[in-house]
Amino acid sequence: MRQFLALAGGAAFALTAMALTAGSAGAITLEELKEQGFARLAIANEPPYTAVAPDGKVSGAAPDVAREVFKRLGVPDVAASISEYGAMIPGLQARRFDVITAGLFMKPERCEAVAYSEPILCDAEAFLLKKGNSKNLQSYEDIAKDETATIGAPGGGTEEKLALEAGVPRDRVIVVPDPQSGLKMVQDGRIDVYSLPVLSINDLVKKANDPNIEVVAPVQGAPVYCDGAAFHKSDTALRDAFDVELAKMKESGEFAKIIEPYGFSAAAAISTTRDKQCAAAQ
Amino acid sequence: MEWDWEFVWEIMPMLLAGVRITILATILGSALAAVVGLVIVIARRSANRAVSRTVGFLAEFIRGTPLLVQLYFIFYVLPDIGILLPPLLAGVIGLGLHYGTYTAEVYRAGIENLPRGQWEAAKACNLTPVQTWIHVVMPQAIPPMIPALANYFIAMFKETPLLSAITVLELMNQAKSVANSSYRYIEPITLVGVFFLVISLISVIGLRWLEKRFGRVA
Repeated sequence: MRQFLALAGGAAFALTAMALTAGSAGAITLEELKEQGFARLAIANEPPYTAVAPDGKVSGAAPDVAREVFKRLGVPDVAASISEYGAMIPGLQARRFDVITAGLFMKPERCEAVAYSEPILCDAEAFLLKKGNSKNLQSYEDIAKDETATIGAPGGGTEEKLALEAGVPRDRVIVVPDPQSGLKMVQDGRIDVYSLPVLSINDLVKKANDPNIEVVAPVQGAPVYCDGAAFHKSDTALRDAFDVELAKMKESGEFAKIIEPYGFSAAAAISTTRDKQCAAAQ
Repeated sequence: MEWDWEFVWEIMPMLLAGVRITILATILGSALAAVVGLVIVIARRSANRAVSRTVGFLAEFIRGTPLLVQLYFIFYVLPDIGILLPPLLAGVIGLGLHYGTYTAEVYRAGIENLPRGQWEAAKACNLTPVQTWIHVVMPQAIPPMIPALANYFIAMFKETPLLSAITVLELMNQAKSVANSSYRYIEPITLVGVFFLVISLISVIGLRWLEKRFGRVA
């Protein structure tokens, strides 16, 4: 019993220590990033938004835009680390990265948690299914209605939230660790639908080269979302500097030159604003 | 970042659902490991060399590769040859096979610790092999094994978060999905630690009792 008490006491002490050390980081300034020589990005390895080549080189539309903007701001390089979508915002808050550039779509509750730049990449949602779509699933509501239908989505991603909001119960929304696993689970029939943004699904289908799968895009009733580079809530000065360069690139056409080869529409991102996106779907 | 008790109560039902799956996976996994270990140890003692060598090799192979790799294999690769297992079942099989190779070693130690004279005496008394096992070997070999087996039971319990990699919604995965939608890690992950600690401590008390009860019989 004494041992038990000692352990319990130790646990309580650890908890207190944790609570005390958390939340001590201040704002990061552009000067600090310049001095450091690189900005730390959070990415997801979901082409075409973010991609990591077998040799470790980071590309994808979101990091490419961020790299160019940071270069113009005088930060010569970026260093990216792969993270789960759900872990990005907590990681940003814990100062593990300086900015999230991963196609993390603006949603009201995310706008509360982070400081977004102006919109960068816009896309609709898509479904990946087995050929024939035997359950005729065209929207998240269809999945909610069909009691046998299951949907896979990245944990903490927009699609998981859309499915839950549409009324799909938790036990039919399977959290899938990465796009490759999602594809495999559809092929194996473990899930009926795997949902990601249109361009990600198209990229996945192209790579899979499997005649037995098909795509529903765009998903009916699901809004078009835009992402932005997401900064820590207290780094608004850095975010504003980022926005200035981003706006210049949008104006000069260089923005389009970076993202259009990936299949994204620059016009879609230019035609909307952060305020509109953050207010959407309230 | 502050500790928020209201949030704790809000997420408690989800985490408890995860605890249930974690305990279920551990119990089923242990039962399977106990049986698999027995099969392995009997096969390895077999007079047929082909059988004992093959099983011996397989057991070493499973014992020498990480559980996470085996889980991925069972869950993502086996469907290619037509074996499609539900996530929890795949997880239980992974745990059971992996820990079965450990329990086999425990069984082997227990059996080999039996003095040679016992076997010879059994033979001298004209007992059949079945009688020898049931009345002579097992009653002496099993009690010392129990604490070691219980140890593996606790070790397995603490490895169940690996099942989150194959989409089993156990405690760790529930906590992650809570964190994914709330952007808070401190409460869910701390609670995961607390749950594991509490259950482990209770198990340790049970383990002590088992040691006292059976440990010093032989």
